[in-house]
Amino acid sequence: MSESPGQAPRKELGAGLIQYSPESVMPFGPVHPSLKEPEYFKLVLEGEKIVEVIPRIGYVHRGIERAAQERTWIKNVYLFERICGICSFAHSLGYTHAVEGLTGFEVPRRARYIRVIVAELERIHSHLLWLGLVGHWAGFDTLFMWVWKDREKILDLEEAITGNRIHKSYSTIGGVRVDFPDGIADRIRTDLGYIEKRVDYYERLVESEETMSVRTKGVGRITQETARRLCPVGPLLRCTGIARDVRVEDPYAAYDEVPPRVQTSTDGDIASLLRLRLNEVRESCWVVKTALEKLPPGPYKVSVPRAVPQGESTFHVEAPRGELLYYVKSKGGSSPERVKVRASTVANILTATEMLKGYTLADVPIVLTGMDPCFGCMDRVAVLDVDKSKEWSISGEELRDYGIEYYRRGPR
Amino acid sequence: MFKTALEKPVTEEYPFGDKVVTERFRGKLDIDPLKCTGCSVCEIVCPAEVITMVAVGKKTIGTREVEVKRPSFELYTCISCGQCVDDCKFGALTLTHNFELAVFKKESTTMNKALMNDK
Repeated sequence: MSESPGQAPRKELGAGLIQYSPESVMPFGPVHPSLKEPEYFKLVLEGEKIVEVIPRIGYVHRGIERAAQERTWIKNVYLFERICGICSFAHSLGYTHAVEGLTGFEVPRRARYIRVIVAELERIHSHLLWLGLVGHWAGFDTLFMWVWKDREKILDLEEAITGNRIHKSYSTIGGVRVDFPDGIADRIRTDLGYIEKRVDYYERLVESEETMSVRTKGVGRITQETARRLCPVGPLLRCTGIARDVRVEDPYAAYDEVPPRVQTSTDGDIASLLRLRLNEVRESCWVVKTALEKLPPGPYKVSVPRAVPQGESTFHVEAPRGELLYYVKSKGGSSPERVKVRASTVANILTATEMLKGYTLADVPIVLTGMDPCFGCMDRVAVLDVDKSKEWSISGEELRDYGIEYYRRGPR
Repeated sequence: MFKTALEKPVTEEYPFGDKVVTERFRGKLDIDPLKCTGCSVCEIVCPAEVITMVAVGKKTIGTREVEVKRPSFELYTCISCGQCVDDCKFGALTLTHNFELAVFKKESTTMNKALMNDK
C-alpha cells in the first residue's frame, strides 16, 4: 500500500502482527460519554476511516464468580442478579434454572408461567431502553424522551408484580418468591396495548425520519458470513437473517407452551436492528398476553433444601441481548464449588469490532450502542492485555511449530 | 407531537407531591422486637450481611445457661431483597414502604430496636 502524508504507515512484523504508527491510533474510552460503562477500544484510523478495532476488556471485572463461591446458594441469587442492571431477571433465571437442574426438583407450572411473563416484560423494557439510546446517539433526543416515558409503564408493572423496578429478586430456587398478584392482568393488557400502539408509531417514525435513516441505514453492516464466522448471539445474529433463539430451540420455563415466533431482519445494519427489536417488542407483548391467559392455578414455589447435591449443570437462557450461559458445579455443600457466567456481550464484542470497520469515527457511538453492549455483564473473563500481546501474540503456524518443538524436547 | 405537548408532564412531583409506591414495594426493613426470638436465621440468610446477632443477656433453659441474642441491622448496606422476611418463622420482620433513607449521620442507619426493647 502506498504511503501518503494523510495515511498511516503500516508495516508487517511477521506472525500476522501489523505495527501501526502511533499517530493513527485513536483511543476510545475507557471513560467515554457514549459508553455507559468503562471499556477501551483502540481504533486504528486512516483519515476518518476505521481500519482496525482492538477491544480491551476487563475494566468492570468485579470478581463476582469468586464471591459466589463464598456465599450460600440462596445468597447467590441476589448476587448474580446484580451482574446486570437491565437484564437482572435473565441472570437470576439462568442461575436458578442451573441450580434447579442439580436439585432435580420440578418447578411448578404456575411459577414457570410467571417467570415467562416477568422475563418478557424485562425484554420489552430492555429493547425500549435501547431504542431510546439509539435515538439519543443519532441526535434525536425527542425519541429518547418518548421511549423512556413509555418504558416507565413497563417498569411500573414490574414493580407491581415483583416489588422492584430493576433488581426484582423474584426468581428463587424452586419457583418464584411471591405469587402473581390478583387483578393486575387487566392493567398489564391495557399497558401492553398502549406499548404496541407506540411501537407501531416508532416504527413509522424511524422509517420516515431523516436523522434516523441517515444515521442508521447502511451503518455498521455485517454480512451473514461474518455472523456465522464470529458467532454473535441474540439480535445481532438475528438481524443478519439467521433465526436462532434459545427460547424456541431449547425452551426453558414455559416457552414450550407459549413459543414466540423468532423475528429476523435481513440487512444486518443498525436500521435492521431497529426493525428487529421493535418486532421483538411486539412478539414479547404477544407472549405476555398469551401467558396471562394460560396462567394455570396452583402453587408458585416448591421448598428446596439448602444443600444442593453434587454435580455439574449448565443452563442457557435468552436474555434481551442474546444467549446467557450459566455453569454451576456443586460439591454437595451449602455453597457452589464453581459458577461460570458467559454474558451475551462477550460473544458480541468481536462482531462489534467487525461492525465498526470501514465506517467513520463518527459512527462509533451509534454502532457501539447498536450492538447493545453490557460491559458490566461481560467483564468476568481473563484480561487480555493488548499492549503486552506484542510479545506473546503468535500465529497459528508458530503455535503449531512451538507445540511440535515442545514435545520433541519432551515435556518437562 | 402536538398531542404530547398538550399532555401534562410525566415527571412525578416528588418531593412536592406524594410518591405512591405499589403494594409490593420493598422499602426499609422493620422489626417487631416482641416477636423476635433470636433464632439467627435472618443473619444466616442475609445476602448483604446486614444483620449481626448481639448477645443481650443470658437465660436458663433447664440446667443450661444460654445466651439470648437479638439482631442488629446496618441498614445502609441493606439491599431490601426481603430474604430475611421470607425466612423469619415468627413474622418479626417486615419491609415497610418507606424509601426515604437519607440520614445525616452514618450511625443513624443502624437499627438496634430489637436490642433495646428486650430485657
